[in-house]
Amino acid sequence: MSALLEQLAPEAALAEDRYADIRRRAHQRLMQHGFPDLKTEAWKYTSLRLLEKRELGSGQGESAGAPEALPFAADVIHFDGGVLRNPPAELPTGVRLEPLDPAELVNVDYGDRAGAMAWLNLARFEQAWRLVIESTLERPLVLALTMPAGFATAVHPRLRIDVATGAEAVLIEQQHDEGAGLVNIVEDIELQRGARLRHVIHRRNAESIWVQRTRVSVSADADYRCHALELAGRLVRQDLAVHLLEQGANGEIDGVAFIDSGQHVDWHTAIDHEVGHTTSREAFRIMADGSGVGVFNGRIHIQRGADDSHSDLNTANLLLSDKARINIKPELEIYAEEVTASHGATIGQLEDSALFYLRTRGLPTEDAMALLKFGFAAAPLETAEPEVVRNWLIEELQAVL
Amino acid sequence: MLKINNLHVVIGDEEILKGLDLEIGPGELHAIMGPNGSGKSTLGYALAGRDGYEVTDGSMEFEGEDLAEMEPEERAAAGLFLAFQYPVEIPGVNNAYFLRSALNAQRKARGEEEVDSMNFLKTVRASLKSLKMDEALLKRAVNEGFSGGEKKRNEIVQMAVLQPKLAVLDETDSGLDIDALKLVAEGINAQRDGKRSFLVITHYQRLLDYLTPDRVHVLSDGRIVESGGEELAERLEAEGYAFLEETSEA
Repeated sequence: MSALLEQLAPEAALAEDRYADIRRRAHQRLMQHGFPDLKTEAWKYTSLRLLEKRELGSGQGESAGAPEALPFAADVIHFDGGVLRNPPAELPTGVRLEPLDPAELVNVDYGDRAGAMAWLNLARFEQAWRLVIESTLERPLVLALTMPAGFATAVHPRLRIDVATGAEAVLIEQQHDEGAGLVNIVEDIELQRGARLRHVIHRRNAESIWVQRTRVSVSADADYRCHALELAGRLVRQDLAVHLLEQGANGEIDGVAFIDSGQHVDWHTAIDHEVGHTTSREAFRIMADGSGVGVFNGRIHIQRGADDSHSDLNTANLLLSDKARINIKPELEIYAEEVTASHGATIGQLEDSALFYLRTRGLPTEDAMALLKFGFAAAPLETAEPEVVRNWLIEELQAVL
Repeated sequence: MLKINNLHVVIGDEEILKGLDLEIGPGELHAIMGPNGSGKSTLGYALAGRDGYEVTDGSMEFEGEDLAEMEPEERAAAGLFLAFQYPVEIPGVNNAYFLRSALNAQRKARGEEEVDSMNFLKTVRASLKSLKMDEALLKRAVNEGFSGGEKKRNEIVQMAVLQPKLAVLDETDSGLDIDALKLVAEGINAQRDGKRSFLVITHYQRLLDYLTPDRVHVLSDGRIVESGGEELAERLEAEGYAFLEETSEA
C-alpha cells in the first residue's frame, strides 16, 4: 500500500500554509499505520483495493454545476467539486462560516490503520471550514456537495459544525457524485446544551469511492437525529459516531440504503453513552438487489457508570436477489447498571404471500414488488421532520424503486 | 358467471380438489360449507391463482374465459376478487395508497381512465362508515396492527372499492363477533345488485342467517357432495358434518 500512499499523499505535494505542520504530522501517522485491509476488524467487509486500481489524478476537481433543486425553501452552501469555490455572499441569519482554526486540529487522533482514511484527510485536505449555527434557523440549511461526471481525482473535504446552546436547525447534506474519484470527508458536529439538530444525509453516487467519517458530540439535553437516504454508489463507507456526553443527551439514527448491482455500501454506526441518563434509538434498513453488497455495523456502547441509560437498536434487511449480499452486525457493549438496551436484527426476502395478496388486488408483479419494497424502505424515513423534508426523501426513494 | 368443471387441484404431491363442479350465475350468492380440510380454501386460492396450486384436470371458466390461463392480476382486472381468510399485512404501505394503486391498476388493465381522487375518497369513506371503521385506518399500513375483525372488515372495504363481478369470500366470518358479523353481512348485501355474484366459503351457518344464499353446497374431500337451498345450511348446523358420512355410505 506504500505506492498507494505515495499516489494519494505525495509528501512533496503538501501545501505550505498554516495547516502545513498538521498535514505533515498526519502524513507521518499514515506512513506509520498504513491502510486497513480485510484483517482490520472495522474494514472486514469493505476493501479499499479499488483505490489501488484507480489512478487518481491530482489537483482540484472541476465544477459540477448547480446542485439539484429542492422542492422546498432552503439556504444552500455549495461545495462544488468538493470545495467551497465562492463562499456564499449572504448566509442566513444565525449562521457563520469561517476557516477552521489550526489549533483545533493539533491534537486530533484517529488511532491506527482503521482510521487511515481520516489521517489521509488530515494529511491532504485543501480547505477546513467551521460552520456555526448560533441561533434557531427558520428553514433548512443545505450543504450540497456535488462532483461532476469527469471527476477522477481525490478531494478531502473537512468540516466542523457547531450548533450553539438552545439553537435548532435542520441540516441537509445533499451529496451527488457522478464521477469516479475519491471523496474522503471528515466532519465533526457538536451540539451544545439544549441544541437540536435534524441531520439529513441524502447521497447518490456513481463510480466514486466515497468515505465519510462523521463524529457527533451531544451535550446536556441536546437532541441529535440523523435521517439518511443512501442511494449508494460504487463504494460508499460511512462512519457515524454519536457521543452522548452529558445527562439528557439524546441521539437517534434512522436510515435506509438501497443497493444495486456493482454497488457496495458500508454503514458503521456507533452510539456511545458516556454518562447516564442518556437515550438513543437507531433503526437502519438495507435493501440489496442484483449483485449489490450492503454492510451494517451498529454499535451501542454504554460506559461504566452510565447508569439509567436507554437504548434501542433495530436493523431489518431485505435481499432482493440471490446474488445480493448483506452483512449485519449489531454490537451491544454494556458496562453500566439499570440500563435498558434492546436490539433486533433480521434479514429476509420479499414475502410471497404479500406479493400474491397485492396481485389478487390487481397490481402487476412489478408494481406489487415496488410497493412492497417501498413499504419496507420508507419506514425509517417516516420519522424525518419537517414534513416537506420527509416528503422529499420519500419521493426520492420512490423514484428509484 | 363462473363455471367449474371436474376441477382437480394438487398442492405439492397431494390432491386436494378431486373433481369439483360448481356453476354460479350472475347475481347469485352461493355458499360452500364443509369441514376442515375439505378443500374450501384451496378452491379460493385456485380461483385467485396462487402459485403452487396446480390445476391437473378440469376447468374454471369466468365469463367464458379460462382462469387457469390468467395471472392473478388479470383475474382481478377481469372482476374476480378473493377476500382472504387471513388477510396479509403490508407494512409501510398505507391503505389509501394501496387501494388507489390497486383500483387504478385494474382500470388501466381494462383500458379505463384513472379514478378521480375525490370520487375515490368518497367511495372509500362511505364504505368505511357503513362498516363502522375509523377513517384513520386509511393512513395506517395495510392490515398492520389491525385486530382480526378489522382485517376481515378491511377485506369488505376493498371489495366495495374494487367492485368485482364475482367475490369469493373465504371464511370472512371466522373470528368475528356477532356485531362485526352483521356489519360484514350488510357490506355484502349492499353489493348485491342482481348482477354481481358471490361465493361465500364458510365453516358455520351463522353468516348465512344474514345473507340469502341462492344455493348451498357441501364440500367434502375435494368434491361437492350435496347441494340445496338454505335448508341445507340449517341441517348442517343442527346435525354437524357427521351426516356426510351417512350420505356417502348410502
